[in-house]
Amino acid sequence: MSVKPSDSATGMPAIDSTGLAGDVRQRTVRETAGRERREKLLLFLRNGQGMFGLILILLFFASAIFAPWLAPYDPNQLDIPVRLSGPSWDHLAGTDQLGRDTFSRVLYGGRVALKVAAIGVSVSLLIGVALGMLAGYGPQWLDNLMLLAFDTVRAFPTIVLALATVALTGPSLGMVLAIIIVTLIPQYARMARTSTLAIRSTEFIVAERSLGANTFRILHRHVMPNVIGPLLILAAMDVPVVVTIEAGLSFLGLGVLPPTASWGTILNEGYLTIRDTPSLVIAGGIPLVLTTLGFTFFGEALRDIFDPRLRKGR
Amino acid sequence: MLAYLLKRVGLALAIIVAVIIVLFSLLHLIPGDPITIALGPRATPEAVQRYIEKMHLDEPVIVQFAVYLKNAAMGDLGVDVFSDRSVTWIVLDQIGFTVVLVVAGLTWAILLGIPLGCFSAVRPNTLMDRVTGILSVGTIAVPSFLVSIWSLLFFAIMLGWLPAIGAGEPGNIGDQLLHLVLPAFAVGLGWVGYLARMVRASMLEVMRENYIRAAHAFGLPPRKIVYRYALRIAILPTITLIGMGFSGLLSGAVFAEVIFARPGVGKLIFDTVMSRNFPVVQGAVLITTSLYIIITLLSDLVVAWLDPRVREAL
Amino acid sequence: MENQIEVRGLTLDFRTPRGRVQALRDVSFSVPKNQIVGIVGESGSGKSTALWSILGLLPSNAEVRGGEILFGDRNLLQLGEEQLRAVRGEQVSVVFQDPMTSQIPVLTYGQQMLDILYRRPNLPIAEKRKMAVDMMRRVGIPDAERRIDQYPHHFSGGMRQRAGIAMALLMTPMLLLADEPTTALDVTMEAQIIHLLRALQQELHATVIVVSHNLGLVAELCDEVVIMYAGEIVERGDVRQIFYNAQHPYTRALLECDPARVLKRSRHLPVIPGEVPDLTAPPRACVFSPRCSRVMDVCRRTKPPDYEKSNGQIARCYLLSEEHGDPDWPPRSDVITVYRGGPSRGGAVPRGDALDLPNSTAVSAGDVATPLLEVSNLCVRFRIAGALAARLRGIQDPHVDAVLNASLTLNPGETLGLVGESGSGKTTLGHAILNLVKAPSGSVRFDGVEVLNMAESKFKPLRRDMAMMFQDPAGSLSPRQSIRALITEPFDIHGIQGRDKDHEAERLCGLVRFPRAFLSRYPHELSGGQARRVGVARALALRPKLIIADEPTAGLDVSVQGEILNLMSELQQRHRLGYIIITHNLPVVRHISDKLAIMYLGRIVEQGDCDAIFTEPAHPYTEALVRGVPRPDPEHRRTLVSIEGEIPSLARRPKGCDFHTRCPYAQDRCRTEEPVERPLSDGRRVLCHFPLFE
Repeated sequence: MSVKPSDSATGMPAIDSTGLAGDVRQRTVRETAGRERREKLLLFLRNGQGMFGLILILLFFASAIFAPWLAPYDPNQLDIPVRLSGPSWDHLAGTDQLGRDTFSRVLYGGRVALKVAAIGVSVSLLIGVALGMLAGYGPQWLDNLMLLAFDTVRAFPTIVLALATVALTGPSLGMVLAIIIVTLIPQYARMARTSTLAIRSTEFIVAERSLGANTFRILHRHVMPNVIGPLLILAAMDVPVVVTIEAGLSFLGLGVLPPTASWGTILNEGYLTIRDTPSLVIAGGIPLVLTTLGFTFFGEALRDIFDPRLRKGR
Repeated sequence: MLAYLLKRVGLALAIIVAVIIVLFSLLHLIPGDPITIALGPRATPEAVQRYIEKMHLDEPVIVQFAVYLKNAAMGDLGVDVFSDRSVTWIVLDQIGFTVVLVVAGLTWAILLGIPLGCFSAVRPNTLMDRVTGILSVGTIAVPSFLVSIWSLLFFAIMLGWLPAIGAGEPGNIGDQLLHLVLPAFAVGLGWVGYLARMVRASMLEVMRENYIRAAHAFGLPPRKIVYRYALRIAILPTITLIGMGFSGLLSGAVFAEVIFARPGVGKLIFDTVMSRNFPVVQGAVLITTSLYIIITLLSDLVVAWLDPRVREAL
Repeated sequence: MENQIEVRGLTLDFRTPRGRVQALRDVSFSVPKNQIVGIVGESGSGKSTALWSILGLLPSNAEVRGGEILFGDRNLLQLGEEQLRAVRGEQVSVVFQDPMTSQIPVLTYGQQMLDILYRRPNLPIAEKRKMAVDMMRRVGIPDAERRIDQYPHHFSGGMRQRAGIAMALLMTPMLLLADEPTTALDVTMEAQIIHLLRALQQELHATVIVVSHNLGLVAELCDEVVIMYAGEIVERGDVRQIFYNAQHPYTRALLECDPARVLKRSRHLPVIPGEVPDLTAPPRACVFSPRCSRVMDVCRRTKPPDYEKSNGQIARCYLLSEEHGDPDWPPRSDVITVYRGGPSRGGAVPRGDALDLPNSTAVSAGDVATPLLEVSNLCVRFRIAGALAARLRGIQDPHVDAVLNASLTLNPGETLGLVGESGSGKTTLGHAILNLVKAPSGSVRFDGVEVLNMAESKFKPLRRDMAMMFQDPAGSLSPRQSIRALITEPFDIHGIQGRDKDHEAERLCGLVRFPRAFLSRYPHELSGGQARRVGVARALALRPKLIIADEPTAGLDVSVQGEILNLMSELQQRHRLGYIIITHNLPVVRHISDKLAIMYLGRIVEQGDCDAIFTEPAHPYTEALVRGVPRPDPEHRRTLVSIEGEIPSLARRPKGCDFHTRCPYAQDRCRTEEPVERPLSDGRRVLCHFPLFE
């Protein structure tokens, strides 16, 4: 038990600013820290939107990961006689123009989406944050150069960039990933840069410098933790964006190639046979919408709880 | 103001040049012979010969680049080796349709989204606010190309209310408007929600500021405070965002043009990519991105005009 | 005398996630017509809340539980929004605290003022504009006809506040509410605004309510005073009665703690120990009893009623009652009632407590071989615009000299007060000494070693000897690090092994009297005073020889700022620390400094012994500063403003002597020739052609 601080003049334990005596304080402090964590958790649980979003996200992950076990059919298995049939007990979402079970294909499509999202977001986040902090903390010319580079990339509408690249390389999933990463990096870099710039001139950074901390220490111990929070939330909200880009590009035939199942290729096939059966475009579209809803609700709930200042809308 | 104008225009030009650099690099960095990559396997020997001449391919890359740059500055973006028409004309021929589509989409989104956002901000947490909120998230959750497909399915094919294909009879405004409805709806829908949320968040933040409180204290009528004081400031980030989000609108337009088989620069790029006609792709991409850069420039200038602090910032 | 407005029994709560905060409890006071009434209180007193209640401008979680506000024949609390709006601006108007955020940035003043005049639909626009320009002129804005079409960011702080006053008075309201009207302004500007308010009040026959924590402002400006503490009114009365014969122990303590009133220079300032009670559960008894030096049993049991004296003074204290009262209370004004340490037990109060601690620890120059710090001709320049932007705007030289030829000396155990207003360069000088900003010329010798612009790798070990305390206590602590990590960080940075870091952390906590239990907390969970202690602890961690403290009392209530100053003083005694205190707070710096250096526009215009400078300032600017601080003494109101004009921008430095544009003694030579530093007979140095003292 630590010695209570005392007032040297009177030898009497000073009632410090909280008006409480020693051991009561300690208990209060432990309670307070724990209570805050619990408060935040409760807030989240109580947030209907957030919980709903979380459920959708879990659904997304589960259906993608467990697709091989959940899918009633092999996604590439042909069954021409039942082609283009609507939903039935045999085929919950109907079949496509080659008789393949749409429901299974949707589940497997989720795997593509998951892969693209995981790789796309994480790689661009890492690179983007590093570049952004560098731009914010480094010399002015580097900042200007990076800004020019980011602005240039952002000048291309994503689909146009993809089209231009495909014109040269031909369609592939790898190319889609590359486009996604390149398109996403400026966003994270900009945000990291803005935060870094803002933090750079705050008093606590000057305080750290006055203590003798070097740049690396400042960046990793003081800038990074303050920057990473909003960025992670942004990343969560970017997952559906990435999935949508992949679906869109695959829809146009620029990404995943048939016969691989991706939500985009399902939509493509559905579009081509839209007058025969609507089930394909609906089945291909619903998981997209649900995933987007899920991550958006979740991300918003997180943002409202952890950083109310960020309530700016995207 | 002049200094700001010059700075912004200079930046815009720099980015356009950078875009040309990127397009050039794409062509030359991809492994393989640039000519076959650019023109694809079906290029005839005459086409190849013409291409080499026009693009000065027998000279070093830097010279090619300089020549292209010089020509581009004067509006000459090369010649389509297959049809022998000027690339610039091919693109300008189509771009009108795209601009109409994008403007239509954005206009209805603004007309609906901004007032909704405004009302929500002025009466937060009422039924209308909550409903608007949910609808906003809902419309954002559906990617624009999906909206295109589904509205095609629902309104054109199932209900037959609106035409599915094309831009309508040339010269017949009524018919053209009819053909514009679905694509414009699809392009703009996501923006309604986005704008509503953005304006709402911005307004809520502004209304908390001290100067709004001061306006109340001086007894100014609430209507005036909302529109002349709060909205005027809250709209600024929205204008910037519309400018920046224009690339998203263009992307949406590309999809809409492909899905509804509408003429436009998006369909042009898509078709020429499919036929491996890179020079046209390059020209079209350049013009599209330049259009976007000019739009962002304009939106920045509008903001500077409205906000005296931006004009005079060093 | 008839009352302009009367508040009766106002009780108000705020609904917060933590519970109901009972912000105002049974608040009653009246404001006679054509008088200026001041509401004085510290943080948490509810003074601003009371003010906003009058106009109904409270946040949405405020709930009025009871009471009335009688204005004319109406109870303002019962009016609907429409009716309240009719009152606002027209009959009751407001001057806001911070002119930088309370004026809309995208409209010109002309447009804003025309908006305010919407209630006069029959007036043509030209007429309205004329009214607006007239008002701008009246508040002292030069060239009003042209400037009214400018935007707020074209005006400096003082000018913006004047414009704010113009907007408030435009409709000639009967009642003017002023919320801390000078807090955001410099000292010299404060004096001008006080003068302006007084003049305007008389001209327009307005009634004014001023809310402030600044006793000097209140003494200068007000006719009657209301003292609030923790949501209650503890005393009311005529301004002289309050300042010379305060009845309530809190009022008494507040007056004693104000450094501007402590006439005898002393190293130890009085402090009211303890903290404002948590208003979610305010005490049922006397609200001040936990901190009162004269507390009695009855005070802890029941709440005292208001006792009125024959002269009209009212105080809520049992000391005034017949049964429990003390006929010797209150004592003479030179007796200190506030005890330096913890609250005393029973009623024993040491009389005439010797608050002035002996001798400063400063070692006289003759005793020491090398001074701790020697700065000579230090200059710091900043670039404000890129070359191209500068050319486009017609700016000749895109640099500003933030610090120009600054020289000073500090010995071990000495305290130097670096005093100046905004733009004076005092903080930049502090940063330059600590090698946090590059200096193009000059010299800084620390312990005999030249350190100017030293490479960081070489300078780093010296950082153990030179530490800085920052102005914004919580803002200078990295938000996502625990206090323990922050306090022990200096050890990590300097790679000091072999010390038990936990032990060090606890030792430092003990030194600064920071509760050890809070080590696991985060900066945003601390109060301002606690965060400041952490700042001190960090600065002390490696046993420095020099500490540069930037505004150590900023944001602290007067009754507790002594805590941090006394702590610093104690530490100085124990460890022979040298301090440079950067501040604009003259009353405080007078008590704690041995020497002063006064800065203006980047130059040190006067430096030397602190007492000498205060009693007989040699530089006209120093005189303006010293005379400019409002004295908390109603008998010593200034009739003339000590200085006019504004601080020029650093980018447009005046020719000749920097100060000549505002100097009441300026002569031709001052306008053309830069002065050279010259010594005075008592050892001071001054930068003036015609110093006021030789």
